[in-house]
Amino acid sequence: MSKEAKTEILQGTLDLMVLQTLDALGPLHGYGIARRIEQVSESVLQLNEGTVYTALLRLQQQGAIRSEWGESENKRRARFYSITTRGKKQLAREAEDWRKIAGVIGRLLRLADQKAVQ
Amino acid sequence: MMFLSKLRYLLASRCSRGEFDEEVENHIAMLAGRFTAQGMTPEEALRAARRQFGNRTSLSETRAEMQSFVWLETLWQDLRYGARLLRRNLGFAAVAVLTLALGIGANTAIFSVVNAAILRPLPYPDPGRLAILWGNVKRENVERRGTTYPDFQDWRDQSRRFEGMAAFDDHSFVLTGVDNPEALGGEYVSASYFSLLGIHPQLGRTFNREEDRVPQRDAVALLSDRLWKRRFGGDPAILGRTIQLDGRAYNVVGIAPAGFQGVGHSAEIWAPYTMSGSAEELGSRRIVGLRVLARLRPGVSFAQAQAEMNGIAKRLEQAYPRDNQARGVEVASLTQETTGNVRTPLLVLLAAVGFVLLIAVTNVANLLLARAETRQHEVAMRAALGASRGRIIRQLLVESAILVTLGCLAGVALAHYGQRALMAASPLEFPNFVHPTIDASVALFTLAISCAVAVALGLAPATQVSTAGVAARSGIGSRNSRFRDALAIAELSISLLLLIGAGLMIRSIVHLSAIDPGYDPAHLVILRAGLPQAKISAPGDILRGISALPSVESVSLGSDAPFTGEFAIYYTAEGQPPMTAQTMPRAYLHRVSPDFFRTLRTPFLYGRPFSVNEIHDGANVAIVTENLVRRFWPGENPIGKTIKLGRADVANPWLTIVGVVGEMKYRGLPENPTADPDLFLVFNERSSSFTVLVRTSTDAASMLPAIRAAVRQTEPSTLIFNADALENFIAQELAGSRIAAWMMSIFAGIALFLTSIGIYGVISYGVSRRTREIGLRVALGSGRAGVLRLVVGRGMALVIAGLVLGTAAALVLTRVLASMVHVSATDPLTFAGASAVLALVALIACLLPAVRASRIDPAIALREQ
Repeated sequence: MSKEAKTEILQGTLDLMVLQTLDALGPLHGYGIARRIEQVSESVLQLNEGTVYTALLRLQQQGAIRSEWGESENKRRARFYSITTRGKKQLAREAEDWRKIAGVIGRLLRLADQKAVQ
Repeated sequence: MMFLSKLRYLLASRCSRGEFDEEVENHIAMLAGRFTAQGMTPEEALRAARRQFGNRTSLSETRAEMQSFVWLETLWQDLRYGARLLRRNLGFAAVAVLTLALGIGANTAIFSVVNAAILRPLPYPDPGRLAILWGNVKRENVERRGTTYPDFQDWRDQSRRFEGMAAFDDHSFVLTGVDNPEALGGEYVSASYFSLLGIHPQLGRTFNREEDRVPQRDAVALLSDRLWKRRFGGDPAILGRTIQLDGRAYNVVGIAPAGFQGVGHSAEIWAPYTMSGSAEELGSRRIVGLRVLARLRPGVSFAQAQAEMNGIAKRLEQAYPRDNQARGVEVASLTQETTGNVRTPLLVLLAAVGFVLLIAVTNVANLLLARAETRQHEVAMRAALGASRGRIIRQLLVESAILVTLGCLAGVALAHYGQRALMAASPLEFPNFVHPTIDASVALFTLAISCAVAVALGLAPATQVSTAGVAARSGIGSRNSRFRDALAIAELSISLLLLIGAGLMIRSIVHLSAIDPGYDPAHLVILRAGLPQAKISAPGDILRGISALPSVESVSLGSDAPFTGEFAIYYTAEGQPPMTAQTMPRAYLHRVSPDFFRTLRTPFLYGRPFSVNEIHDGANVAIVTENLVRRFWPGENPIGKTIKLGRADVANPWLTIVGVVGEMKYRGLPENPTADPDLFLVFNERSSSFTVLVRTSTDAASMLPAIRAAVRQTEPSTLIFNADALENFIAQELAGSRIAAWMMSIFAGIALFLTSIGIYGVISYGVSRRTREIGLRVALGSGRAGVLRLVVGRGMALVIAGLVLGTAAALVLTRVLASMVHVSATDPLTFAGASAVLALVALIACLLPAVRASRIDPAIALREQ
């Protein structure tokens, strides 16, 4: 039960990261997205890069992103993902939710810190 | 929603497994390339890249799950698994499927009849506005009597709330001038009859207004499709030809559409209403009998129509006080008139069969629960191996769905053949348009009950699974057994309900068969015959011809026979006080020959039968039933008193009473339709239509051919309408009650059988669960008898609970049977008898596991576990 809930949040977070990346950088292939997340997280986040594809599949199914074949930097065929209008709305909504939750957690932790100080 | 987006995704970005693998390969290759650039060897780089990418198999699975309809696959798995399990438990599966097939099949069969007879609208356009108008007479009770032709004309002309009205009446037409003369069921109808019903002829025309004129000059007739094909080979040239009906030439003007047989559903031929009598008869306000078919104007309710007709009847009563006193009109819907008499029995049977299904489901649920108990290990193991609760419940649902699907299929097959047998065996008279079939609504009904059954069956064990995960074994066990106890009690009470219902109906039939009709119906043959006008003096010869047969004890002639004579007439008794329309003495008139009462074996209370030398019109003697003399001359010797036909001011000759017999159930069983007495006058042996009663010394039905032959030999032109043993006629009178009782008994029998299995299951389950405890008791010195008492006592506790609940339910529910049975709906004997039967059967069902329990060897029982 509790384990499932944790996975849920993680998955949601990854989706949000993927969407944000595509929104900021434009069409990217899976490898590119993984590199970008790695770069932004400054290697704090240990990422199984396969899960990026799970997120891509899920987002594609939700209609938040679409994909088309293109050519990668090493001249190989690669699938490029880009964010859709629906995805942008979803991103805005989830980012807002995330900020709220982050704010709440932050306040809670600050309270706990003050208590610990007393 | 999920489904749609999945579908869209599938169609929009259909990417093959190969492409996806390629994408992943590329990713890993690029990652490896990066590691190589950082100084790893290509092999190390590839390994690191793979590690960083993570579990590829799991990714593929996730993808497959998203892309394919994975639930279909798991459903298929569940189905195969379920089927395998059921195959392995073939006995269990067979019992469950058969039980369900019985329940679903019986429900489908009964519902298909209900659907055809009650739910489908009548086969006329806008049938909700069609009405039958009855002339009513207020006597002791309000009696439906039909109306007179002048009254009908006034109703039609004065009413504003009807689109139209048509008079109609049944008539048996005798078709002659053909090879095999026969009597045809038919109707006299007004011209507008067909247009009111929306019936258009397939050939020719229906009647026109000219043919409603009195007197009618041109005799015209319309044939039913069936008669046209049966007697005239479907030849269109029949139009314009003449046929002989009742000795008169009728011009055939049209053929009714196939399937139409009049609102009475038995007509084969129609003639204008004005052909039904002379101008004088059609102008009389005294000859009541016709019914009126009417169509309400759109938007007019039956209550409004009734209110208008009440006003018209009141005006007619004021205008014709002598004839129309106490006469009213009843506006009844045609639908109610057509299907009203089968409605209650059918709905009662549907309810009964619904209860049977409930018991069947309960039983199968019990079986499934018992299996769930034994499958605890399996379920626990599957849960431990990671099966989610939903998946396990789904598996259980799929299993019950397999059972129900099989049960449903078998049930529909059963219903298909069952309903044919039902219609063929049913002496309940259904309207001729009733053809029960498994149509869309029946299929929907069956599907609905099957789904309900599947869910109920799946949920029962599923509720147990919910706790199985926790694996608190003893806890589940007691909860499970309490649930099963409750199911057993429910079964018992429903069974009792059905047993009581069946018991009431059987008691009712026993009661009916025990009724003394006032004559001895055994060994009696009734034969209705007709003669051409030229031969109307032949009845006497026919009587003598039959008398000469061996095995014939006596023969009598009459105007009618039991259940065929319904001619009521007003009479006047000597010295009677002035009467009102309510109290005016009325009797049913029959004309009979001297041997009539000897043939019927009806004893005389006073006086004597007619004598041979009284066989003439001037005899002026009468024989009456007891009620007549009790009303006017109580305590006196009625012989020699006089009565006359008609009202006091009518100049009819006075008739001397020469004999008095007890009341006879001559006009209906179990009771005459009205309490009026019967009045017998001398049959003068001159008639074109008469009835022969023959008392035989051997089986009545076996004498029929000889009697027919004797009649033909005496007078070859005789037309025999119908001939049968009187007992068969009586059986038909009681057929409705009989079939209902018969079916109710079958349902109750099934219920009893299923319940006994259910009780047996619950008790033996209890015994198997308590093997250790019982062993301990035996080891501690409790005797075999003590164990028996323990087990049977537990069973009987369930039975008592079931009996109490069932009796309470029956006290409420059997009220609906009141109109169908001729005993009290709360008959204590029936209630007690049904309870005793159920208790006995349940006791036997308990005894088997109890005896097994008493043989438990404590040593073995304690070593188990």
